[in-house]
Amino acid sequence: MEEEFIKNNYTDAQKQEIFDKEFMPQINAMYNFAYRLTLERDDAKDLLQDTYLKAYRFIDSFQQGTNAKAWLFRILKNSFINDYRKKSKEPSKVDYQEVEAYYNSEEVDRQITPDLRVESLGNMIGDEISNALNALDVDFRTVIILCDLEGFKYEEMAKILDIPIGTVRSRLHRARNLLKEKLSEYAKSMGYKTA
Amino acid sequence: MNTPDKKNMKHECPHQQECLQLLQSILDGEATTEQKDRFMGHHLEECMPCYQNYHLEVAIRDLLKKKCSNEAPQDLVDSIKQKVIQNLSK
Repeated sequence: MEEEFIKNNYTDAQKQEIFDKEFMPQINAMYNFAYRLTLERDDAKDLLQDTYLKAYRFIDSFQQGTNAKAWLFRILKNSFINDYRKKSKEPSKVDYQEVEAYYNSEEVDRQITPDLRVESLGNMIGDEISNALNALDVDFRTVIILCDLEGFKYEEMAKILDIPIGTVRSRLHRARNLLKEKLSEYAKSMGYKTA
Repeated sequence: MNTPDKKNMKHECPHQQECLQLLQSILDGEATTEQKDRFMGHHLEECMPCYQNYHLEVAIRDLLKKKCSNEAPQDLVDSIKQKVIQNLSK
């Protein structure tokens, strides 16, 4: 992001104000993002704390009046990739590229016929959707969180994730198809009518 | 969107995947007003698969918002604030 090249020289009082008024209000959304990435409460806590301390350390490169939430989410995402993804059980980058190549093929759109109905969603009053989301590959999970939970625009997501807007769009579409597939498996296993 | 007359709706959509992508851009607030008006005001009223997809997309988003948010534990919030204050006083 371009604001990283701008260095401000905030006073301690200004820093404290930015931290309290711009960064702290995002803490629940940030915690949820950390949890959905790591899928472990303890890792989520560490990741959140590391991210906030990093944000504080680099506060001079935050431009007041710009989108603090997007700025923080990008730091958290980068910390996750650098410090947590390596040690987690997530598939490696190579595996992921294969996964994405597969899901980007036209074939898959035709195969996925989400035979899921609104009525069966109404019965999912427990953790079904949360489990379905957590079961997705981390990159698919991430775009759903950023868009559907946090309401980021495609352009902001492209900056947070360092990927082109076209990739945001197609990855979101695949992610949603995969989520529906999972939900429809749940619906079937619970014996709900899906078709 | 008006409530469509289901008897007169098509039951097959030849462009279902394309329509679904457009529908998602509309719900994401990324489509143009023209795309939105044409799809929501016209296509949805005559196409059953897309009409059902619309309701499914909306329901999934609602469920995600309701069920997939976790608040940060208060002790963690306090500890982060504390650490920053310590940093300031250095």
